[in-house]
Amino acid sequence: MIKLLSIAINDLRVMFADRGIWVQIVAIPVAIAFFIGLANGGFGAGDPVPLLIDIFDNDSGELAAQFLTDLRATDSNLVLCPADADLCRLDGSELTEEQAQTRLTDGITSAIIEIPAGFSTQALAGDSTAIIYRSEEGLGQTSAVLSAVQAVVQRVSGAVVAANVGVNVFENSGPDFRFADDADQAAFEKAIYDRATVIWTALPPAVQYSESARQQTSGFSQSIPGIATMYVMANVLVGAIILITERKQWTLQRLIMMPVSRGQVIGGKMLARFVTGMIQYAVLFAFGFMLGVRYGDSPLAILLVMVVFTLCATAMSLLLATIVTTDQQAGAILNLVILTLAPLGGAWWPLEIMPQWMQVVGHISPIAWAMEGFQTVIFHGGGVQDVIPPMLVLLAITAVCFIIAVRRFKYE
Amino acid sequence: METLVEARGLVKNFKRKDGTEVQAVKGVNLDIQKGEIFSLLGPNGAGKTTTISMISGLLTPTSGDARIGGFSITKQPMEAKRLMGVVPQEIALYPTLSARQNLNFFGRMYGMGGAELNKRIDEVLDLIDLKDRQKDKVDTFSGGMKRRVNIGVGLLHRPQLIYMDEPTVGIDPQNRRRILDTVLRLRDEYKMTVLYTTHLMEESQELSDRVGIIDHGEIIAMGTVGELIQQVGEEDQLVLKIGEQTIDTSLIERIPKEIQGVTRAAFEPPGETGDQTSGEVIVYAKRGRKALPHLIQIANEAALEIMSVEVREPDLEAVFLHMTGRALRD
Ligand SMILES: Nc1ncnc2c1ncn2[C@@H]1O[C@H](COP(=O)(O)OP(=O)(O)OP(=O)(O)O)[C@@H](O)[C@H]1O
Ligand SMILES: [Mg+2]
Repeated sequence: MIKLLSIAINDLRVMFADRGIWVQIVAIPVAIAFFIGLANGGFGAGDPVPLLIDIFDNDSGELAAQFLTDLRATDSNLVLCPADADLCRLDGSELTEEQAQTRLTDGITSAIIEIPAGFSTQALAGDSTAIIYRSEEGLGQTSAVLSAVQAVVQRVSGAVVAANVGVNVFENSGPDFRFADDADQAAFEKAIYDRATVIWTALPPAVQYSESARQQTSGFSQSIPGIATMYVMANVLVGAIILITERKQWTLQRLIMMPVSRGQVIGGKMLARFVTGMIQYAVLFAFGFMLGVRYGDSPLAILLVMVVFTLCATAMSLLLATIVTTDQQAGAILNLVILTLAPLGGAWWPLEIMPQWMQVVGHISPIAWAMEGFQTVIFHGGGVQDVIPPMLVLLAITAVCFIIAVRRFKYE
Repeated sequence: METLVEARGLVKNFKRKDGTEVQAVKGVNLDIQKGEIFSLLGPNGAGKTTTISMISGLLTPTSGDARIGGFSITKQPMEAKRLMGVVPQEIALYPTLSARQNLNFFGRMYGMGGAELNKRIDEVLDLIDLKDRQKDKVDTFSGGMKRRVNIGVGLLHRPQLIYMDEPTVGIDPQNRRRILDTVLRLRDEYKMTVLYTTHLMEESQELSDRVGIIDHGEIIAMGTVGELIQQVGEEDQLVLKIGEQTIDTSLIERIPKEIQGVTRAAFEPPGETGDQTSGEVIVYAKRGRKALPHLIQIANEAALEIMSVEVREPDLEAVFLHMTGRALRD
């Protein structure tokens, strides 16, 4: 273990002996994160992107109306069609289900919401009913619209349940007390519903994030984690070139002729890369903090994403080292890998602004999963639990790279 | 005598880029005794580095094994590696770190640390005479200084055995002398065992207690310098250069008959071999120096003008020539 640490420390010493490293891990990444952040809206809010939703209200009841009002209230950028006619890009034509489906596939709308006939009466009677929500998003993808819908559904149904409980309590409370008539009962239910709604809305609104998401995705809070993740990948993958250099200058061979195990050598080298990656994250996130970027409420979740992604990059660098043989070759592959995986994974711009199919393809890039983790925490106020699914994907990639690399790794 | 290194049947095949295999080492057996300087002498590409790489645990032998102090290098590599220091043919150092940082790091790889390591680094820096430059980056050093640090790393953990792979390659005579003296001191003062490879016959001859001559991956002769020379006969060669002059064959025939100790004589006209511009009379004699006055007398009687005389004592070069039909330097 001491030898492993010594190897890692020595690697870092060699790296920092070169003054150019500061340009590589501080100056350039900071400049790029700054300019990309600026180009995407910088300090202020970018132009909010309207989020179109096609609504089929087959119920037209009181609760359905309530639901739509509540939904609209969550985010000023939500456009409910066909109600908000001029923003709906419908060209005056009637909205059919078929058309809605096409609009959804083409990415014009974010979702289709269908409120079934009888929704209000069934819900108020305490029967189960459901709002149908359709979108093109993959499972596990956090969408502002879906979260808003869920939050509102919860609120509305919570209030309905509360109203029903109130009525039941009332009916069972004694033989002497009866509603004068049905209107009386309805009025009573309404009163409880309203009260419950007040209570629910008094809770911290669950959809708060969607505002901040609109405001920040286009600025530094996108570019800092994006560019940081890209440079972490670059500076960790460079480990493959370092290994080739060490073979060329015979220091690797010298190590092997010493009483040091293969595991200690590989472990030490990987630890050094890992630390480099974490330093890179620290540098850019600190810079972002100075620019006023805030990283959500869970520093632990942010740290988890950083650690897992850096691990993943480290395993990739080991794999790369087993594939390449010359440093020119390594340099070329490195550039190719980074210049593909970074934009694909949403390091340069948010993946959400890309066409749907690009968003899907983009998830072959580990960067996409890291960005998903960061966005969950930074934009959606997520915590450790919320970043676990994308982190599991990254850990799986890590394991696969590592296992292949260790099998392929040859000293000779 | 105790055997410290015992290699048996070492073979190494390399795959070439085109997929064919080359056998760089073809079944080498070695026994290195404790306390001796053993040199492996052979031309470029003979397989010296490949052999050292196998007995130091860098390359896995295609077949065969070596025991270092009783530990198999393939089965107990850690134990075996602890006993040896290695000085690779290449300068295996971190160029951007100082001499001291390099020594410090590699020292830790032998499990040393703390005050003990610091003290040892000071001793090694004394030995390689680089105390005043210890804080400087290795890439600011001259070739000779780098070589010395390279050797220093191999000595750090006071190994009883050290492998030195062509440690004098590419440096000036002064530095070379220094290194050769250090090698002798390692044996004489520190009682170390040294395996020294070289393609220079003079180094091998000066340093070695025993020599193995390696060519095309095979050890073609092994023994003390004296023993090896005996194998080719102990005759000196007297070479008289006579320029463009021609010479009577009868004169050549007279020489072995008239001069005591001469076994045979030959004439090589100019241009016969290589860049030879002068005709040469070559005389083989048991004791060349004794035969010389008589030889010169005969030449004078025949009115032969002698441009230069050289006495070549038999050496490892002659052994190599005898065994392979080629000069070592080619
Ligand atoms: N990694 C390798 N792949 C293919 N062939 C190799 C490899 N290493 C060495 N060889 C070949 O094996 C043979 C022996 O090489 P080796 O380096 O052992 O010779 P050497 O005696 O050390 O020579 P030198 O005096 O030049 O250092 C050479 O023909 C060389 O080309
Ligand atoms: Mg060699």
